[in-house]
This record gives sequence, C-alpha cells and structure tokens, in this order.
Amino acid sequence: MLELKPPLVLLSGPAGFGEYLKLIDHRYVGGIILKTVTLNPKEGNSTPRMADGDFYVINRIGLENPGIHEFVENVPELPVPMIASLGGDSFEEYLEVARTFKKVSDKFCAVEFNFSCPNVKEGGLSIIKDRKRWKTLIVEIRKILPDSFLIAKIGIEGIFVEEAAEIVVDTGWNGITLVNTVRGLHFEKGSMILGGLSGPLLKPIALRAVYEVKRRFPKLLVIASGGVYSMKDAKEFLNVGADVIGVGSALFKDPGIVEEIGKYLMEVKG
Amino acid sequence: MERFCLTKKKTIRVNENTWIVFFEEQLDFSPGQFIMLETPKLVRKPFVLGYWEENLAVSIQVKGKGTKWIVEEAKKIKGHGPLGNGFRRDGKGLLIISPTCLTMARAFEKKMNVDILVGSKSPVLFPLGYETVVGDENFLKKLSDLPEYDWYLVSGSRGMEEVCWEHLKGEEVYFSLEEYMGCGIGACKSCAVFTKNGVKHVCADGPIFRGDELCWS
Repeated sequence: MLELKPPLVLLSGPAGFGEYLKLIDHRYVGGIILKTVTLNPKEGNSTPRMADGDFYVINRIGLENPGIHEFVENVPELPVPMIASLGGDSFEEYLEVARTFKKVSDKFCAVEFNFSCPNVKEGGLSIIKDRKRWKTLIVEIRKILPDSFLIAKIGIEGIFVEEAAEIVVDTGWNGITLVNTVRGLHFEKGSMILGGLSGPLLKPIALRAVYEVKRRFPKLLVIASGGVYSMKDAKEFLNVGADVIGVGSALFKDPGIVEEIGKYLMEVKG
Repeated sequence: MERFCLTKKKTIRVNENTWIVFFEEQLDFSPGQFIMLETPKLVRKPFVLGYWEENLAVSIQVKGKGTKWIVEEAKKIKGHGPLGNGFRRDGKGLLIISPTCLTMARAFEKKMNVDILVGSKSPVLFPLGYETVVGDENFLKKLSDLPEYDWYLVSGSRGMEEVCWEHLKGEEVYFSLEEYMGCGIGACKSCAVFTKNGVKHVCADGPIFRGDELCWS
C-alpha cells in the first residue's frame, strides 16, 4: 500500500521536478508526482503555452521533458517521497520507457503512467482509445515492473473513468489518478489556445469521477486531481472517497495552500 | 527565494496605463530579477524588481483584472521571489526601457554604469529624471542616433524589442523577456523561449538573454 503522510501530493506538471519544495514546508507534502517523462526528449509546444480565465487555467506545454535516459541518469534527490510520471508516444514506447525506468524504480514509492495527456499527437489520450490494446499494454507494463506501485492517470475523454478503473483493477495495478485536464479552447488577444483545462472548473468533474470509481472499487487507491484550491475542496474529495489529495494548478495561485491542506489532512488522517 | 506578503505604500501614475507601486518592505535582489505577485486571478503575475524614491517598487501596466486590482485595491499582496538571474556587466551600458520597467532602471543605476532611455507610447505625466521619448516615430528617430555603448539592455514590449534588435544587431545587446509564466521558478515550463542553444525558460534561465542567442522569427 502507498503510505503518504500526509496523504497529499503535488501533481505532475505544475510540480515540475520538485522546484516548489523550495517554497513549501516539506512536512506538509506527502509526496510529489514528477513531470511526465517520455522515451525521447521533448521540446514542448510553441508559446503561448498557458493562459488563465476566470475559472480555469489552460495549458499546452506539450510534455517538455529531458527523456527517460537523461532522467534515469539524473534522478532528482528530493526531501519527500517521489512518484515518477511516465508517458509514451506509442505502445512500444511505453514499454521501452518502463524498461529503462526499472533501473531506478527503487528510488520511487510509486510510478504513475500518463494515459491522458491532451497536448500530444500520439500517446497520451490516444493510447486509451483501443481498449483491448490498452489493456494488453498495462499487462505488459506490470510484467516489466512487477514490484512497483502502479498508478494510471486517466482523464474523462476517450473512456469512462469507471471502465478505465475496472481495467486497472483487473490487470493488477494499484491506483488511479482522477482526472487529467480536459481539452479546451481559450481566446487570448484574438488568438486561440487549444490545451488542457485545469483549475476550479475541473472540480465538479473530478469529484464525480472519484465518486464513481470509489463506489465501484473501494480498494483501489484514488488520487484526486482537479480543482483543489482550499481545505473545503480537499474535504469534498475526502467525502467522495479520495485516498490522496492532489494539488496542481493551485500552486500557481498560492503555494501556501499546500501547507494549509497538508495540516488539515494530518489532523483528520493522522 | 521565499514566500512573502508585501504592504502597498502608495502608487504614482506614470502615463495612460502605467503605475509605480511602492512597498513598505525591502527585499534583497539583484538587478534584473523579478517577483511573482498574487491577484484575485488564478495565476500569479511576474513583475521586475526595482526601486523608486528608495522604496522597493514595481512598475505595473494595467492590462486586466489582476493588475487593476494591484494598482487600485490591494493593500497586502502575497508573492514569492526574488526570481530569475540577476544581471551584471562592466563598462558603460544603455538601458532602453518602457515605463513598465521604470523601477528596474533604479536598481541598475545602483550597481552599474548605465544611461537610461525611456520610450513611452503615450505622454508621461511627470518628469521621470531620465531621457524620455514619446511616440513610435520619435523613438525610432532616437534609435537611429544612439551614441556608442559597451552594451545595451532592452526591457519593454515585444514591439520595442524587435525594433531595438533591428537597430542594434551586431552590438552586445540583451533583452529582458516577457512570457506568460505559471510558476516563475522553472517548474511548469510555460515560459519557453526558443534559443540557438535549445529551449530555455524565461523564469529560470532568464529573464535576460543575449540578443544573438535568441531565435528571431
């Protein structure tokens, strides 16, 4: 079982490779899910890569990352438990990334596979479209990483979350992160930004996703991801069964919120 | 780098849409560094650090709800910083800035041998104490007639950067870049800038870059 104290993680993407830990008291961070790493280095998308509206943040970073080989050579050393986030542009790439990661898997308390990034042409969201093939893929990943705590990061597009959760449970994976960003479109100075929506707008969607999955699979570890900006938000996710509270885009508003939620979780979860 | 809460002391209007915001507190920073300030919006915004009348101060161009709130309503403002890399050059430099970077000039004057040239699109409301040209035409005329300096640093709008690069290409010229930032600390990768040495980030690798390092397209 994944024991994070407090049960609060900084979410993949906004949390980068641990930079926010310079601004946040580590005692209130149970773990950090690092930025998604792919087989080959990615430069990411052109700018603008991010914008904010009244109730959402939209990003089209495009998984900028150094690639798995560079990553395993230079695993960050952080003062809190680390969860790796891995992605791929194809079936084979996911497996290759998993094999390469295995060399350093003991440095991580868990590994999350990103099956839902909306900002890349291949992999991410598109990998999940073919259910049978996706199921085969996650069976193969489990074979490569038999001892790792495996978490699937799932969005609400391309699959119903409860359907994805069933496949995750059937294949012997341990957890699910709900939800990834949702595809959106934002106008900025007359130009369109197509990217993934996060922020307060995502909260009711994420709450429903956690609720539906936890209702069906109470033993599956669920990391809540979507619109946590306050203690009240964290409470609501706990009420629908979330095991771990994720903080992502809220870091951009006030990194201090992590300490507030972390303290609360320590009180109620020990 | 730290989290802090700044107390707004007063504001002065510089031109049609730019204000100087003074703070009660002091921060230890190097010229060129910036801070991220919280507003009612969902993402903190970056402001280059500087001084005015010996106070810690930032210049703010009101562009939307967040900047309007800082200028008109805010009393206490949460933030984090100082961020980015400071800038240091020997020799005689020229700082070419828009009013949005006015307070930055004071920080440079304290540490380096610099002249200051302000280019403002609209008339300034009080003498800034620096050579000031108003309007695009006058600014272009001024650029064509600049004396020689060891180095130049431009901090203003994208348009200002582009015309300065056209005029100063071949010289040692630096640009303090502006790009949308989510975190300001190198985590989110939103403020990418494509350089001849690959992707860099304005917040962590900059904000100041040498002109001949940038991909101008």
